[in-house]
Amino acid sequence: MKITPVKLWRRQKHVASLIGKTGTLLQWTVIRVPAKTFVKEAPYPVAIVKMDNNEKMIGQLVDWQLSDLEKGKKVIAVLRKFTPEDAESVIAYTIKFKPHENY
Amino acid sequence: MKINILGAATTRFGELWETSPRALAREAMSHALKNADLKPQQVDALFVGNMLAGILGNQGNLGSFFAEELGVSVPAFHIEGACASGGLALHNAINSILAGQHKTVMVLGIEKMTDFNQEDITSGLMAAGSDEERQAGATFAGIYALMAQAYMQQYNVSEELLSSVAVKNHYHGSLNTKAQFQNIITIADVMKSTRIADPLKLLDCSPISDGASAVIISSENIGDVSNPVSITASEVATDTLALYQRESFATLSAVTRAASKAYSKANITPSDIDVAEIHDCFSIAEVIATEDLRFSKRGEGAKDIAEGKYTLGKGKIITNPSGGLKACGHPVGATGIKQIVEITEQLRGQAGSRQVKGARIGLTHNVGGSGAVAVIHILQT
Repeated sequence: MKITPVKLWRRQKHVASLIGKTGTLLQWTVIRVPAKTFVKEAPYPVAIVKMDNNEKMIGQLVDWQLSDLEKGKKVIAVLRKFTPEDAESVIAYTIKFKPHENY
Repeated sequence: MKINILGAATTRFGELWETSPRALAREAMSHALKNADLKPQQVDALFVGNMLAGILGNQGNLGSFFAEELGVSVPAFHIEGACASGGLALHNAINSILAGQHKTVMVLGIEKMTDFNQEDITSGLMAAGSDEERQAGATFAGIYALMAQAYMQQYNVSEELLSSVAVKNHYHGSLNTKAQFQNIITIADVMKSTRIADPLKLLDCSPISDGASAVIISSENIGDVSNPVSITASEVATDTLALYQRESFATLSAVTRAASKAYSKANITPSDIDVAEIHDCFSIAEVIATEDLRFSKRGEGAKDIAEGKYTLGKGKIITNPSGGLKACGHPVGATGIKQIVEITEQLRGQAGSRQVKGARIGLTHNVGGSGAVAVIHILQT
């Protein structure tokens, strides 16, 4: 996937506006054979999350345990690095979801 | 206006390391011409279905590229719609005839995938998804796995039951000399195969393949017209690019809408279908398709497949006699055209040991992305 500085700049306001928003797990899978960018992270869960405002989002789950993978599990949107392994590239950030304990 | 299929041919599907894209195209198109008893000069236009040549191979301008192989300087177009590129190319070829622009058109579906490694292919295919899905690290197996989870929960269906799709399609593939896999497998084989994206395992997934397929369609009766097959419906519908934005994850609305229009256009009902080629990119896809096409009741697709309702020699509607994407192989741009070639051979009674006896009405179901585009064709003798 091509990551260009201009694309990141355009996207960053939207990404920032999502930090700290909460929702619940609707559906998930554990990806064991990933695309190129994510080889070092596999296996990892990808989930469809129903946000508290009823919008749906898709995102990677971080800081997770097997017991977190259940329908209705509360999650919170956090900012995490998302970048290809290329020292010359701009570091990109995206929203991932973390199990939310204080709920 | 009647759209006749004059010629149809496919290369073998598989890991064809010694064959170039040009050679694949040449083989499929020359065999389709021979099958139709036509010369290249009788073709008015060429439509090409391909997804990955630009993304992986840095080769664009595919219309001219493959017209060169056909050996005629006719109008030529490249159509892309992810894994439905082949079906969409045919749809546009039909439209060009209906518009009166052309009379006889060659449609080529082609993909060369095994020149590249698995991670590059997995990333390349995600070009058919949304930016959000790519950032989440989703793969197409992952997105279909999300559908499988939703379906299994909604209808209380087991992983074993899903496995029966691959078992059936490998059995059919074992009867097809063009298929990538011609081995019979069991539910236990599927269950113990490597996990790709839970609950989908390696043998739930269609392979990475090379291959090309070609059909020649025409409003005229020229060449060899001893065994006529015509296309009585060609319908396309689209949906959101990403699965997560949809209301339900256990159905593909683009398929139900395109199929409804196609049934009504051909003036038939689902139970009139004798044979269908289904886009089983993953086992769950064929289960959902049998329900979206109204062959099975909601929640009963997997059970019906396991009980043999769609198996050669047992069922009434036979699905994926070619082996489907799972066993015949899935060179993505070629798949939609290979489906047409298979149904044409079935309706002509030329399918040999995998012949569906007395088949007169056939359907093809070609899906792009995770159901962002669906193309349904109905073929009749």
